[in-house]
Amino acid sequence: MATDSTTWQLRCTVNGRPIEAEVEPDETLLFFLRDKLGLTGTKGSCLEGECGSCTVIVDGRALNSCLVLCPQMQGRRIETIEGLANGDKLHVLQDKFLASGAAQCGYCTPGLIMAAKALLDQNPNPTEQEFFEGMEGNICRCTGYAAICEAIRSAVQQWK
Amino acid sequence: MFLQPRQVAEALEARAKYGAEITPLGGGTDIVVVLNRQSTGPRHFLDLSRLENYAAIRRENGCYVAGGGATFAQLGRLEVKALSQAAMTVGGAAIRNAGTIAGNLGTASPAGDGCVALLAIDADIELSHATRGRRVIPIHEYFTGFRRTALVADELITAVRFPADWRTAWYKIGKRGSINISIVCCAIGMSPRGNVRIAFGCVAPTVMRARQAEAIIAKDGLADASIEAAAQSAMKEVAPIDDHRSSASYRRAMCGVLTRRLLRELRQDAPRAAGRAE
Ligand SMILES: Cc1cc2nc3c(=O)[nH]c(=O)nc-3n(C[C@H](O)[C@H](O)[C@H](O)COP(=O)(O)OP(=O)(O)OC[C@H]3O[C@@H](n4cnc5c(N)ncnc54)[C@H](O)[C@@H]3O)c2cc1C
Ligand code: FES
Ligand code: FES
Repeated sequence: MATDSTTWQLRCTVNGRPIEAEVEPDETLLFFLRDKLGLTGTKGSCLEGECGSCTVIVDGRALNSCLVLCPQMQGRRIETIEGLANGDKLHVLQDKFLASGAAQCGYCTPGLIMAAKALLDQNPNPTEQEFFEGMEGNICRCTGYAAICEAIRSAVQQWK
Repeated sequence: MFLQPRQVAEALEARAKYGAEITPLGGGTDIVVVLNRQSTGPRHFLDLSRLENYAAIRRENGCYVAGGGATFAQLGRLEVKALSQAAMTVGGAAIRNAGTIAGNLGTASPAGDGCVALLAIDADIELSHATRGRRVIPIHEYFTGFRRTALVADELITAVRFPADWRTAWYKIGKRGSINISIVCCAIGMSPRGNVRIAFGCVAPTVMRARQAEAIIAKDGLADASIEAAAQSAMKEVAPIDDHRSSASYRRAMCGVLTRRLLRELRQDAPRAAGRAE
């Protein structure tokens, strides 16, 4: 158990990189990633769990980083959109989003891709119902979803 | 201060020591929303996410015993229809991965979907204290007023126990389909002996049961006429208000509609359920 000191020594990994940092107990993961680690691919907008633009993967499960307090991440393995591409080689979801034209303003895209990755990592062949349940927490105000669904479905074909 | 104990005993000690000074933190899906909105939110947290055996759900004598840390994602897989359906309408997948049943009971919102489902199946809530030990109270005694409960500030909700063999039906009326805070939510449970519980969310300062409607069904069964009488009664028993989500009159009308619809659904289920092996 930690002591009564006000700051917290956070140890976790982000995209495979070990992180050690002093954080405030009420600091959210979203702003830690963006402002302290410079990983601005993860977006914030509603800050109340409604939009999904802040979605990251923690120990294999999708979470809204706007609702996670940093100390809750002690020892956890965090994946963000920045961890997906391998050098210049895009991750299959990124590739399919591009090919399907699934982004317009792009603000929702990192969250959608992380939600889709969490879904397919756990369940590489989701039913319609499971697909919907996995993605319903992510809102896009531009595209109308058809291209997004097409992108994720075509990624399913190549999921390993 | 941020405490992250591993043992329930340690967590209870911290809670007994700091009481209301420290905020138990489950998935944070209620607390952190508040924290993001206002700078005056809680500053000290007791993180329950690392507690051993706090998130497990086990079967015990025809019941489920869910640790307080059981998430909606876990509850969504149970065979208690009202509870699993309710769980699957909470937020999106990421919210269901984080939000816990103890958190739903802790917030005790009149819209709490987990609360409504548990109220319809006579769940028991286990409240624990470092030295006084455990007390188990029936859920209908747990909600004492608007966001007020029987939980004392030096206790933690450690588990919830509910029957696995009740037939249940559930429906939620909400703006964005159902994946959102509801306008009206109704859950109805029927025990193998035929006891009926009719529970509502969003139509009173707390989640509530329509006890006179229940009594009508207990006395006259699930014939069309008694279902109709129960629906009429439910509409009179609820005490909804007008707010930005809906009007009182619409909510009241929907309480009648849902009572009728869900009781019919239970009646239809009956023969199949009676023949089901446990
Ligand atoms: C986008 C979104 C959608 C939502 N949709 C719904 C919905 O459809 N239906 C619904 O009912 N809710 C909904 N919620 C609200 C929320 O997800 C639930 O109330 C959830 O159950 C809260 O659980 P938590 O573990 O995240 O709670 P936390 O935020 O961690 O805690 C909530 C409260 O409970 C207390 N608490 C937690 N654990 C304990 C314990 N063991 N002992 C004592 N006190 C404890 C905390 O101190 C706090 O006061 C939604 C929230 C969001 C952000
Ligand atoms: S910013 Fe986190 S869900 Fe909208
Ligand atoms: S592309 Fe603009 S919000 Fe989705």
